[in-house]
Amino acid sequence: MLELMLGRSRGWPIAIAGPEELDPTTPCLAAAFVGSTILLGERLPGDAPFEPLVHAVERWLGIRVPAVCSLEGGGLNGLVPLTFAPDRIVVDADCTGRAVPGLDQISLFVDRLPGIVAACDTGAGGAMLVSTDRAIDAERVIRSAIIQAGGAGGAVFAGFTVGDLIEHAIPGHLDVALRLGSAYLSSAHWPPAALAGALGGRLLGHGRITSVDTDDRDPFVRTVELAGVNGEVHRIVSRTETLAFMTDGRLEASAPTVIALLDAVSREILEVTDLTLARHIVAIELPGPAWWHASPHRLRRVQPSAYGLTELDAIT
Amino acid sequence: MTAEQLTLEALLAHPANGGLRMIVGSGSTVWDQAVVEQDEPGLPSSGRGQLAILTTALSSAPWQQDALMRRVHERGFPIVALPRAERLSAGARQIAERLGLAVLDVDRPIDLTKACWELSEAGDALTLRYVRRVAQSFAYSAEDLAGLLRHLAGNVGHGLAVVDASGVLHEAGGHLEDSLRKDIRFDAWLDVARSGSSSAVSVRIESPTHTGLRLVLFGQGLSSAQLRALSAAAEIAMPAIAARILIDDVAAVNDAAASSGLLRDFLDLRGGSDPEVERRMLEHGWKTAGYHLGFRVIGRGRVDPFQLLRHVAQGLGRLGTDSHATTSGRGVTGWLSFPDMPPPNQVEKAVSALRELHTQTRRSFNIATGVGSMQHGSPGLASTLGEAADAARIAADRASTGWFLRVDSLGLDQLLLAWTGSDTFIPAAESLLASLRKDRNELLTTLSAYLDHESNIVATATALNLHRNTVATRIHRAQEILGIDFSDPESRLALHLACRALLR
Repeated sequence: MLELMLGRSRGWPIAIAGPEELDPTTPCLAAAFVGSTILLGERLPGDAPFEPLVHAVERWLGIRVPAVCSLEGGGLNGLVPLTFAPDRIVVDADCTGRAVPGLDQISLFVDRLPGIVAACDTGAGGAMLVSTDRAIDAERVIRSAIIQAGGAGGAVFAGFTVGDLIEHAIPGHLDVALRLGSAYLSSAHWPPAALAGALGGRLLGHGRITSVDTDDRDPFVRTVELAGVNGEVHRIVSRTETLAFMTDGRLEASAPTVIALLDAVSREILEVTDLTLARHIVAIELPGPAWWHASPHRLRRVQPSAYGLTELDAIT
Repeated sequence: MTAEQLTLEALLAHPANGGLRMIVGSGSTVWDQAVVEQDEPGLPSSGRGQLAILTTALSSAPWQQDALMRRVHERGFPIVALPRAERLSAGARQIAERLGLAVLDVDRPIDLTKACWELSEAGDALTLRYVRRVAQSFAYSAEDLAGLLRHLAGNVGHGLAVVDASGVLHEAGGHLEDSLRKDIRFDAWLDVARSGSSSAVSVRIESPTHTGLRLVLFGQGLSSAQLRALSAAAEIAMPAIAARILIDDVAAVNDAAASSGLLRDFLDLRGGSDPEVERRMLEHGWKTAGYHLGFRVIGRGRVDPFQLLRHVAQGLGRLGTDSHATTSGRGVTGWLSFPDMPPPNQVEKAVSALRELHTQTRRSFNIATGVGSMQHGSPGLASTLGEAADAARIAADRASTGWFLRVDSLGLDQLLLAWTGSDTFIPAAESLLASLRKDRNELLTTLSAYLDHESNIVATATALNLHRNTVATRIHRAQEILGIDFSDPESRLALHLACRALLR
């Protein structure tokens, strides 16, 4: 959908600026779709879904915000900032560096950056603005508003500058995504280990899905068992994203490390909902952003234990 | 105390192992010592040759199960027991198998710990537990030996059997395999026998009335510590078993005497009714209503009727039909009862079962058996028993039928003749013909043949290979001695029957 929107963009070729290349005092905003992405496919957003929200934050801040960065660098939301070109400067920085389910997990909140405001859809063209320094309030209020708006909608965060992104976000994100994408396109059908190498990652394992279990306590948590090619037992623990990968009871990788899952035959990149019985899949570990590892308080917000899943955090 | 090596088999065979079940692994896993901890992090880092018992239940999260298997293995433990291990996921089971880790499910980990301690270090505690269990069994009153064995087996938690050299007489709480039974030595006071993974301890039963009996305690995968403890338990239980056998014997003798008297009273009524006898029969569990098939087993030589009854009663118990038997005179009288008229094939089946019983009994006793016909009600019972008695009497002379006769297969003449063998007829016949028996029965055989050949001197002489004058002389002498007119038909009939009765 966004690819179609971007295809008609006036801004091509879109210029991307690194955060260091701009004046650090330049105000910046971050935008993303929140809620169910499946719903967005059924109920298409308008041609400028973020316009009322940007208007609301600019009015609140009393200034025009000339720069835009991504809020969540995974999936659909990775492309959102590009829709703002050429009216605003697209900054190559991301506020999560991977996929995360909660708005309180964005880097600006994790680092407790003061003065963040957020606006989101409330449905029927309405907008709501939250100004709070307590991350969980923003998450809960925006989540409620999005439910009110029909389950999916836009959100825009502002109140920070391009200079803040150097320290409190993950710079170079688009660059990494572009390199990863090109590598995938050129080597998608290579043998699994070679493909993992080409992507700059490590092959965790490949095998056939023998069971998919839902956790007793958290219905979002799913455990997928893979019968490995040499008889080993792989276990993938996922919530909205893949959180951990184990082989024969030993933890091999866990968030914030990125665990990418591909169909072993078509090499299609799989979401957690695509993991169904008897499918052959390949699991590849891609290094997560170093930003999350830089401090214990950041790690605490992104490791599996942040979701109440014990014994899955990588020991550092 | 020196610790003994434990095997999983022994632990699984322990009656108080806390509900131990095998989830992954084999019974052959061995270890020296058990370590009990709340959870995995509390376990020692070197668990080589040790059993890890965890008191915290297995997590339902599959990844935690996987991780537990891995970590217990990495600590060196060959085996782990914990509650709810049965919910181990297929993947985690596979991991345990790959790592060579045995996994056990246990409901009560503390009981398991105690069992390990008893098996490895505290043999006396184990013995005491068994002995106490044996003692507790006596608190429950048992109806007979089988009941006592059931109580003991239930309390001790292993199988019990009373055996002699030929086979198992009673067993409870399990089945003593033949291969194991054959390994039991009968000459020793105490014996330990093994066959494959099963083993048995046995002790001689000191019974004054029965010799060659042994009390056996048996089970699967018992360790030597358990066998030692069970030996003590067997020794403690043995006198009670011996006493029980004696009590059962006395009770059986009493019961046989009472029922024998009752049967006599019933038969004396000759099909008539007497409320007092009926009441006593009812108390004895003898129903006269329905259909009955009588039988009688008599000794063809000297036979202890009571021993015979015990043997027959045991056989009847296996028939699965409502049956009664008691001693009567020099034999055993009994009958099978059916609520409705059984179809002919069932009657045939019952008769062939009785024939089988007869054949079996003949291995121990020199007997003959007669079977009556199917009869109805109280008079019917009396008459089928009468028929059985007649048939038995004839059977005693019938080697050709294996000393087994069924009244239905006899002709009426045979029956009439059978009556001449009765206790009242024979003495009368003897006194009638006593004077003829002085000269080597010469006159008696000649007279008998003469009567058989319709008073024809020539035919008699041919049959006896004598000269006809000899026959004529002998008949004449007999007539003189007896003073009976041979031409009178009634006298001739009486003489003929008397000869038959004596010459049989």
